[in-house]
Amino acid sequence: MATTATIYHRGMLAASPRRQRIMGAAFLLFGVAIWLFFIRTVQNPNEVARYAMTLNYEAETKIPDWIVPVLPAMYICMGISFILGIYQIARGFKRWTNLALGLVVALFIFAFLTRETAGASISLAGIFYLTLSSAVTLTMAALSGIMSERAGVVNIAIEGMMLMGAMTAAFIGSVTHSLWIGLIAGIASGMLMAFIHGVLSIKYKTDQIISGTVINIFATGLTSYISTKFLQTYQYLNEPGVFEPIAIPGLVKIPFFGPIFFNNNICVYIMFVVLIVLQIALYNTRWGLRVRSVGEHPKAADTLGINVIRTRYMAVLLSGAMAGFAGSYFSIGSVGRFDNLMTGGRGFIGLAAMIFGNWNPLGGFGAGMLFGFADALGSKLTILGSDIPTQFLLMAPYIATMIVLAGVVGRTMAPAADGVPYEKE
Amino acid sequence: MSKKLYFFMAILLVASMTLAACQPAATATTAPQPTTPPVAQPTTPPQPTTPPPTAVPPTAAPTVAPTTAAVPQLYCLVTDTGGINDKSFNASAWLGLQQAQTDLNATIKYLQSTQETDYAKNIQAMLDAKCNLIVTVGFLLGGATATAAAANPTQPFAIVDYCYGKDSPLCDPSAGPFDNVLGLTFATDQAAFLAGYLAAGMTKTGKVGTFAGLLIPTVTIFEDGYYAGVQYYNSVKGTSVQVLGYDPKQPDKGLAAGGFNDQTVGKNLANSLLQEGADIIMPVAGAVGLGAAAAVKANGSGLIIGVDQDWTVTNPDYTSITLTSVMKVINVAVFDAAKAVNDGTFKGGAYTGTLENNGVQIAPYHDLDSQVPATLKTEIDQLKADIISGKVSVKPQ
Repeated sequence: MATTATIYHRGMLAASPRRQRIMGAAFLLFGVAIWLFFIRTVQNPNEVARYAMTLNYEAETKIPDWIVPVLPAMYICMGISFILGIYQIARGFKRWTNLALGLVVALFIFAFLTRETAGASISLAGIFYLTLSSAVTLTMAALSGIMSERAGVVNIAIEGMMLMGAMTAAFIGSVTHSLWIGLIAGIASGMLMAFIHGVLSIKYKTDQIISGTVINIFATGLTSYISTKFLQTYQYLNEPGVFEPIAIPGLVKIPFFGPIFFNNNICVYIMFVVLIVLQIALYNTRWGLRVRSVGEHPKAADTLGINVIRTRYMAVLLSGAMAGFAGSYFSIGSVGRFDNLMTGGRGFIGLAAMIFGNWNPLGGFGAGMLFGFADALGSKLTILGSDIPTQFLLMAPYIATMIVLAGVVGRTMAPAADGVPYEKE
Repeated sequence: MSKKLYFFMAILLVASMTLAACQPAATATTAPQPTTPPVAQPTTPPQPTTPPPTAVPPTAAPTVAPTTAAVPQLYCLVTDTGGINDKSFNASAWLGLQQAQTDLNATIKYLQSTQETDYAKNIQAMLDAKCNLIVTVGFLLGGATATAAAANPTQPFAIVDYCYGKDSPLCDPSAGPFDNVLGLTFATDQAAFLAGYLAAGMTKTGKVGTFAGLLIPTVTIFEDGYYAGVQYYNSVKGTSVQVLGYDPKQPDKGLAAGGFNDQTVGKNLANSLLQEGADIIMPVAGAVGLGAAAAVKANGSGLIIGVDQDWTVTNPDYTSITLTSVMKVINVAVFDAAKAVNDGTFKGGAYTGTLENNGVQIAPYHDLDSQVPATLKTEIDQLKADIISGKVSVKPQ
């Protein structure tokens, strides 16, 4: 019942004239901000910003740099923002409102970047490349969270599962001299941790937050111990190597995007496959409907003959497998060794991406890309010697997450039975 | 059923705590065992193990804690979060104590700090263990060491990368000087200057890069020297090699990984620098630098400059891309401190490792030796002599 009410509420939100006007005003404000902060501060009206469109400075197929005249570009960005804002106030974009908002924000960011790059050069291809490589682990972590929470089990143990996966993959990969066995072992170790989480939270109905926290602490301790005692001491136990990039013939030749998306190692491709499979499976198959029903209303699902307990176990184990895979990417997909705490809290950021993406796989990927983009932009602006403290930039996506959570842009909705243990009567 | 649950939870919790919290204690090496696994091979060419007389300033206080040589002495190490296997300064300090173990027949042990709140706790644990010398590693332990040293004025301490008092501009003037603390600092910029000059001479793109773990003085001193070395090359040769990622005029705006653990960040930052055209990168970020090395290797072109230890020795995987390393010979300084305690000549004060006393140096070119032009090598040797004689200043202009 509550769900239905919320859906009506959302419908009203999108259509309400008040929200329409607020959104329009926000678009106009972005336009004003472009003028106020960027256009007004331009010293030399003839300055250009140079965007490198080729990833590697030694690449064979070079696309010429994109040279953007700073002032006209910013006026165009401002103009489009104003037009969109006026249209939004007058007519409204209706269900396309958020898309328009995204466009305005993108214009604002582009104006900002152009202003910062004025008189210098920056690698645009590089920004996208870095965005993707940061997004891979965040997206996998988000998918792991989505899998579990869609079935009603909160999984904050992703960080711990990722650490275990990273450690196991590096260790087993080194011992067996096979990256593939290492990857499988990494996934299995994630599933093992997930099994513990499942037993605690499904069978014994422990508070899922506490169970997840315990697993995180346990994994931190265990991996640090094994790492210090064995992996760091005996180097041959920590030399698994790295999956080499595989260029996909044909696609890699696509200008600009080809080298970024189609010249990665197998882990990145697997991530995309998992993303698409999960998106389709959750929303277009009977299996997905069952998983979601268990997360929304387990009692109703049980009445209809769905085995709630088994479904939840399966979801949690799959979630663990994804987290283990994400962890393996850290060690054997990226730097080729394991070090203490190398996941650096990305399991938690992945959860933020899950929430930002509204518990939807494609949304989680989008949020992961956004967070990765902020990271990439931060490092680029620092190299440029920008005056903007990069810390603010790094904060930006999380501020956006808070805005989304507060329901300003469009409310996210957790599965109704998320975090509630199922008690059969 | 709930009994089973609590039993299981209890086991998990106990296991977590033993493994997480007590991990350093569990792994601490205590007995004098010559079979300690090789952490890192001796990373430095043979060199005099005693610092020149100038190393300890004459202002140092009278000897503390006279010792008897009959009982084996106990030397203790409190590491920073990197731990003794960080292939960086913690590992190097531990190496110094391991040498004391074999050469001075001492007992050694260490505690690893897993977070900043561990510093004071670990130092206290070492005080309780009645160590003859407590070595604390790293700039971040400066505060905790000062507190402990003030409270225990007869306990000899040595701290790596920090010192107290107003005598030297490198030292922290807000505390001390303490008669019982020997600060081991390193004029890293001298060696980094040589590395910067070398990088400027070797770059093909006219751009070299660097990034920090955290922008703290012991890190930025590398970058200052590196930057100054590149500028010096430019002024001598009339070139315009650029340094990406750091500018001494705005040291707080340098490129930084935000820590010393997360190698993925190191990989991204190095990729970022490579994309902007830098082909020689010096990551001053402990283990995070290994992520940078992985990025350079995957990139297929570009070189890396190691820091703290000779990376061709500590990271043989990256021999083919390691141009040189800016080394702080911490192990020798730590060993000398231990030896001073052993001989009863320990004094507080400040030791500064320089090019002159071999406390800092750049590593041999190893695999890349044939690629470095002979004239550049000669220039570097001459530059080293000029820095020692004071003819060339390593401060950024």
